[in-house]
Amino acid sequence: MSALIVCPSCDLAHCIGAAPSKERTVCARCGGLLQRAENGNIDAAIALAVSALVLFAFSNAYPLVAIQSNGSGRATTLLGAALGLYRQGHTLLASLVFFTTIAAPFLQITSLLYLLLPLRRRREAPGQRIVFRLLTRIRPWIFVEVFMLGALVALVRLAAFARVVPGVALWSCALLMFTLTALTSRTSPGQFWRWVEDRRA
Amino acid sequence: MIALQTGKSLGLILCLECRATVRALDVRYPRCPRCHAHLHPRKPHSLALTTALLLCAAVLYIPANLLPVMYTRTVFDEEKDTIMSGVLVMLHSGSWPIAVLVFVASIVVPMLKILALVVVLFSAWRGSARYRTQRSELYRMVEFIGRWSMLDVYAISLLVALVQIRSLASVAVGWGALAFGAVVVLTMVAARTFDERLLWDPPP
Repeated sequence: MSALIVCPSCDLAHCIGAAPSKERTVCARCGGLLQRAENGNIDAAIALAVSALVLFAFSNAYPLVAIQSNGSGRATTLLGAALGLYRQGHTLLASLVFFTTIAAPFLQITSLLYLLLPLRRRREAPGQRIVFRLLTRIRPWIFVEVFMLGALVALVRLAAFARVVPGVALWSCALLMFTLTALTSRTSPGQFWRWVEDRRA
Repeated sequence: MIALQTGKSLGLILCLECRATVRALDVRYPRCPRCHAHLHPRKPHSLALTTALLLCAAVLYIPANLLPVMYTRTVFDEEKDTIMSGVLVMLHSGSWPIAVLVFVASIVVPMLKILALVVVLFSAWRGSARYRTQRSELYRMVEFIGRWSMLDVYAISLLVALVQIRSLASVAVGWGALAFGAVVVLTMVAARTFDERLLWDPPP
């Protein structure tokens, strides 16, 4: 049995086999991604989401970096970066930083756990469709990896005139970055609905 | 030449939220049977929305580069930094890899993004049939690199949070940073409202 799918990039129709593909398939015309290789283990996805949640907690509870100069020092947390902007009256910029580095990753992790945990027990979470659509809207706005690179730039600039001490949160943030990337690639929309349909069958 | 079958010619709609392929029904506001998202054969008002957002981004690109993004006050003097002067400071202080990184992420990437979106927008609007694959690739590159321009905004937010050593030194944000953040967000939204399938649609 085969099915018809269309390319999301150029709308060309393709005939594909019914079995989920083991490797990525691309469009014959434009080279756009049709299907990615799915690693269909729901337990692995849940494990990744839980570790992401723990790393997220660490990243927020501990200081990110501290500087020391002439006997006085100062440390900041992840939230402190957004708060500093807020205190100087840049509310919009502060909310942008807050949303992309704290709110969006947190919402992604928690909404995924909300969807996947019941699914593992062959149930469906109430409001599954709404939470799923929220998840796909939030995903492009997770900027943890960009934040890490920005932190690197800030540290290099500071190192010129102060002693810079990396904090626990800097390392957990770096690990969070990799965990989130792995989590996102393992819970693509197509994969998520395949889990739902498997449970229904 | 064999006429290629597309979703549009077969009456199939792709749900952009859950990637389900749905047979288009003859109802006024079709919804995806799987995730209940609204279905559209093409993103609604794609060209108009992308043009509007892109214009805003192009206008804001000017204050983003001319206004100071950061004021540094020390006991001796007060300095204001635009994005470009920040890059030059880093270049002179010897950390040239970081200077190159910031230059590419904050100056080259936003400009390339705006130009690339103008190119794909113009060819979608004209329905040009040449270099379609290259334009598709250009669009995908814009989607991929777009987020990295936020780098400088985060660097500034950390500097602001850290460098507040009473009377010795302090860093304040400038309005250029907000304009810059707005350029990044607007170009990202512009890239998302653009429907790349318009590049491939046969002229009516």
